[in-house]
Amino acid sequence: MNIKTLILIIINSLIALVIALLSFSSYKQFSNVLNDRILLQLNSIKTLKQNQIEHLLKSEWERFEASESYRQNSDTTLLKLPDSIKKSNGIHDFTPYHPAKKTTIGFISNSKRGTIVKVLDYNKIKQILLERTGMGDSGESYLVGQDFRMRSQSRFYPNKTPYTIFVKTKGVANALKGINGRGVFEDYRGIDVYSVYSLITVGKLKMVILSEIDVDEVTLPLKELKQRLLGLTLGIFLLGVMLSLFLTRFITNPIKNMQKSLRIMAQGDYNQTNEFIKNSTEIKEMFEALANLKASLQGAVKFSDDIGKMNLHTDFKPKSSNDLLGKSLLAMRDKLIEFRNNEENTRILSKRMLVNGLEDERRRLSRELHDGVGPYLTSLKHYIENRVKNEEKKAEMKKIVDDTISEIRLMSNALMPASIDDFGIGVTLTNFIEKLKKSTTVTIEYEDLTQQESSNITNHQAINLFRITQELINNSLKHADAKNIRITLSEFEEFISLFYFDDGIGFDITTVKLGLGIVNIKERVEICNGTIAINATPGNTTFEIELPIEL
Amino acid sequence: MKEIKLIIADDHELFRKGLAELLRKHEDIKIVRSVGDGSEFMELINSQFKADIVLLDITMPNMDGFQVLKELKNNATDIKPIVISMHSDGNYIAKCAKMGAYGYLLKNTDEAELILAIRSVDNGKKYFSAEISEKMINFMSTQSISENVLSNKETEVLGLIAKGLTTKEIAEKLFVSSRTIETHRANILKKLEVKNTAELIKKAAKMNLI
Repeated sequence: MNIKTLILIIINSLIALVIALLSFSSYKQFSNVLNDRILLQLNSIKTLKQNQIEHLLKSEWERFEASESYRQNSDTTLLKLPDSIKKSNGIHDFTPYHPAKKTTIGFISNSKRGTIVKVLDYNKIKQILLERTGMGDSGESYLVGQDFRMRSQSRFYPNKTPYTIFVKTKGVANALKGINGRGVFEDYRGIDVYSVYSLITVGKLKMVILSEIDVDEVTLPLKELKQRLLGLTLGIFLLGVMLSLFLTRFITNPIKNMQKSLRIMAQGDYNQTNEFIKNSTEIKEMFEALANLKASLQGAVKFSDDIGKMNLHTDFKPKSSNDLLGKSLLAMRDKLIEFRNNEENTRILSKRMLVNGLEDERRRLSRELHDGVGPYLTSLKHYIENRVKNEEKKAEMKKIVDDTISEIRLMSNALMPASIDDFGIGVTLTNFIEKLKKSTTVTIEYEDLTQQESSNITNHQAINLFRITQELINNSLKHADAKNIRITLSEFEEFISLFYFDDGIGFDITTVKLGLGIVNIKERVEICNGTIAINATPGNTTFEIELPIEL
Repeated sequence: MKEIKLIIADDHELFRKGLAELLRKHEDIKIVRSVGDGSEFMELINSQFKADIVLLDITMPNMDGFQVLKELKNNATDIKPIVISMHSDGNYIAKCAKMGAYGYLLKNTDEAELILAIRSVDNGKKYFSAEISEKMINFMSTQSISENVLSNKETEVLGLIAKGLTTKEIAEKLFVSSRTIETHRANILKKLEVKNTAELIKKAAKMNLI
């Protein structure tokens, strides 16, 4: 379920619950109050009418008793009163004896002069009953006799004789039992009414007075209220839905945007620059946090990119002490630096070992020629001296042997001068150049500023310096068309400096074809941990080589 | 006639034999012993073995010719060493001469010269042939050992500093790197115990170095 639906459901069910509770309780309250009011009002009307009727009857009775002279009026003639009633003084209900069953209340007085009967003017009662103030449209007050037949005219059946209408209701039954009360029940029409009832007893007359009003009329405002409440509920609910829709948009849009951003980031693209509407502080902060995250990741990505390209001197600061990614990247960089240094060391070491092996082999060969083959040749010469008698042949043979020995010396020297081991680089270069001078027209000047016997130049450095110088002179003689070569080898406390100059045509360092020689020189400088600076302008080619003193 | 007692010290047996055979023809020369390395020879000398001349090879196992020459110098013995070597470079010759060798011969030296050398040395002379002498002198001429406080190069640099040249100009003039000149300059300041160029010039003038 997505967050939008969830918010909608929660908010709206809350709203619905609140409205329902409020409506229900107010409706209930209102209905209770209305009930009470109506019954109270009915009661007061009923009581008023009861009192009026009782008063009317009593006063009429008193007047009847007082006026003995009163003549029997004509109405009584219509009545077929039984003797039992005629003999009984008091107020009576004559209705059952009326031929047309018209409601008739009468007074009977038996005296010496005979029986006097008087019929009360029904209209007086009727007036009281028809007074309908505060009774609404459906309210009525009516009288019911002991025989459950109506005694007063029904509003609803104006053409019916009241006597013919049976009112066998709960109210009448209760009232006849002497219980005054109120209630809601069906009246004689079978319609629910609010009813208040009580018994009227005047003399022998017993009648029930009821004041009633239709439930429908009373509850009309309740129904209206119900409808209004329903309408209101619906309205509020709709408003709630709309508001919550707006609210969810308000909340979910940034979340959706965030989700989109995060999804793009999850795909590994940290360079997106989407601008979002930030409509609250929290959301603004959330996006700022996202931007920070993005920046931090971008930094990490850039850094790892650099590491990937082996730019190991790139600097990077972890965002915090908990930045595991940053810290692992740094660790990785350090490891890579270590690996690279190790690799570099291994590379230089293996190159050095290769060169050393080569030089050792050359040395071995050189010594073999010089100290092995040489003495044999001298022995051969001795043999010739001792055994060959022919002087001419002897001289010839000795010459051949001497030439061979000279050649062996040259070869041995070319391979590796014994001087390097016995005298060091300074003297060896002196010898090398002195010999070279004899075979070239180029002026070579060499200055030996080494410490001679107390020199701190290692044999390894000496051999490499010798090879470098050999190569440089070779290049100058072969390719540079130089007239002058100047070489200075200086030894100091901290370093050795080999300065080489020629006035040849120079070369382009980047495209030089005699590259192999230069590459060899650079490699030899590298395996001695030294530095080299080359300047190759025509007429002024210089090589500055520095090696550290290793003590 | 006096007999010249000779020891041959060389690690090549064939060479020793050949040499012995060569010298046998000469009655005034007698090979009293031949040894294979320097330490064997020194043992012999230390055991008061008497001989006039030793034909000494430089390149030998255990103890080489240079060490033998050094030992002999410290030893109260009158045996005269003649170096006989395959090395023809001036530096070897110069070093042997400096260390007390009475002569220097190449191994492929002709019989006549060998005999001449032995006899000359036995007479108390030193023997260096013209060819050997030339090699030695050539080498020594390249060596510039200064007896002064400053080395020759430093004196040269000091002179150029006094003339007002910059480090770069001096470097170009002397065919060295700028750093070399800077180092030379620093060394000169240190040696003359001064702190800056002005003081340096003043002190150098006082010491007649410029």
